[in-house]
Amino acid sequence: MTQIPECTMEELLAVLISREVKDFEMSACGALSFIPAAGMLLASHTHAPHAEIIIQGSKEYFPFVGGPDWHNMASRGQMDLFFIGAIEIDRHANFNLHVIGDRDHPDVLMPGLYGSGLLYYTVPRIIFFRTEHTRRFLVEKVQFISAAGSAPEGVPRRNREVKIITPRAILRRNEETRFLELESVHPGHTLKEVLDNTGFDLGVKGKVPETSPVTADELHVLRTAVKKHMIETETYPELARTRIMVD
Amino acid sequence: MGIPYVPVLGLAGSDVAARRSDFTIAPNPFNPEEKFVVAKAINPDVAIFHCAKADRAGNVLTRKKGNEMLLAQASRKVIVTAEEIVDKLSLDDAPGRFMPGVHVTAVVRAPFGAYPTEATGYYDEDEEQILEYVKASDSDEAFSRYLDKNVFAFDSHDAYLESRRLSPARVAAAL
Repeated sequence: MTQIPECTMEELLAVLISREVKDFEMSACGALSFIPAAGMLLASHTHAPHAEIIIQGSKEYFPFVGGPDWHNMASRGQMDLFFIGAIEIDRHANFNLHVIGDRDHPDVLMPGLYGSGLLYYTVPRIIFFRTEHTRRFLVEKVQFISAAGSAPEGVPRRNREVKIITPRAILRRNEETRFLELESVHPGHTLKEVLDNTGFDLGVKGKVPETSPVTADELHVLRTAVKKHMIETETYPELARTRIMVD
Repeated sequence: MGIPYVPVLGLAGSDVAARRSDFTIAPNPFNPEEKFVVAKAINPDVAIFHCAKADRAGNVLTRKKGNEMLLAQASRKVIVTAEEIVDKLSLDDAPGRFMPGVHVTAVVRAPFGAYPTEATGYYDEDEEQILEYVKASDSDEAFSRYLDKNVFAFDSHDAYLESRRLSPARVAAAL
C-alpha cells in the first residue's frame, strides 16, 4: 500500500472538492467559503483549466455587479455546480441555514439568506461542505427547512445531484429513494465511526468503498501554486496562509 | 413595475416559503402541468434610503451596486436622504448611479445619514458601533437601552453626531 500523505482537514476537504469540479463547467461558491474556493482553484490548476470559477467576495473571481445577476444566471441553467455550508442536513437532504432552536424563540438566528434556497432548485449539482461530521450536523429532521431536498409534486427542479463532503465521509442523495446514502468512507476512518456520528440511517448494505486517498501531487499543487495564487489574488489570503500548509 | 406577483424558481417545500403569507404555489398559466412558487408584489407606502448626492430637482446619485431603483419604483412615495445637496446632477455624474428625480418625492440633506454604516467616498463603517448594535439586538431590553443611549438621548441628529465627535466640518478638517 502506498503511503498516504498527511494533511489538515481543510486540505482534505479542498482536495475532495476539487475532484468534483469539471472542466468547461461553471462552479461557484457564496460567502464564507474558503474551502470550496481552495478546492475550485485546485481543480483549475490541475484537471479543469477551463473551468469558470465564481467566488463571492473575490475581486478576481466575482464577475457580477449585484446579487440578482448571478441568481438570474443560475435560473437560466448556466451554473453547473454550487457549494453550500449548512448547519444541519437531514436524511431527506433538507438543509437548515437559518436557525438553531424554535424559529419564533431561537437560540441562534443565522443570517440565512434566500439565495441558497433558490440555487438548490436551479443548479444541477449541489455539494455541501462542513468541517465536522457529527450528529448535530447530520440530523434525523432539521429544525428549520431553509430549502427542501425534494420538490413538491409538479414543481420542476433542475437539481439532480446532491453530495455532502465531511472530514469522515462522502454522502450522496439516492435519486430514486431521495434519501441520503453513504458513498465512501475516507482512509483512516471506519464505517462504525461514520454511523456512530450520523443522526440518521445511511442505508448501508454490504461493503462501503473507501474514498480515493489524497495524493502527494494534489497536496503539492494546493500547497504551492494554489496557496500562492490565493494570497496574490486576495482570495481568502489569511486562511490560505494559515490553513494550507507548506509542502 | 406594478405587476401583482412574480414567479420564483426555488424555495418550494421550505419553511421559508411556508411561513410567508405572500408566497404561494400556483400553476404556470402557459403550462398548467407545472407549478411554481409565486411571490406577491411588495408595494411600500414609503421608501426611505440614503445616498451620496441629491439635487434641487430630486435627481439623486445612489450606490453603484444597490437595488435603490427597484425600491423606488415599487413604492408610492420615495424620500431620499443625502450626504450633500448640489445644484444639478446628470446621468454623466460619477461615481454612483443616477436616478432621475421623477421617481423621488422628497430629498433631505442628512450628512452622516448612513452612520454607523458606511457611505462610500464619505466615511467608513464604525465597527465598534455596529458591534454594540448587534449585541443590543439580543433582547428587547438591551435594544431599548441601546435606543435610549443612542437615539432618545439627543434632541437632534446633529447633537448625536457631535457626541460621537462627528460633524461635516470636523471630518472635512481631518481629510
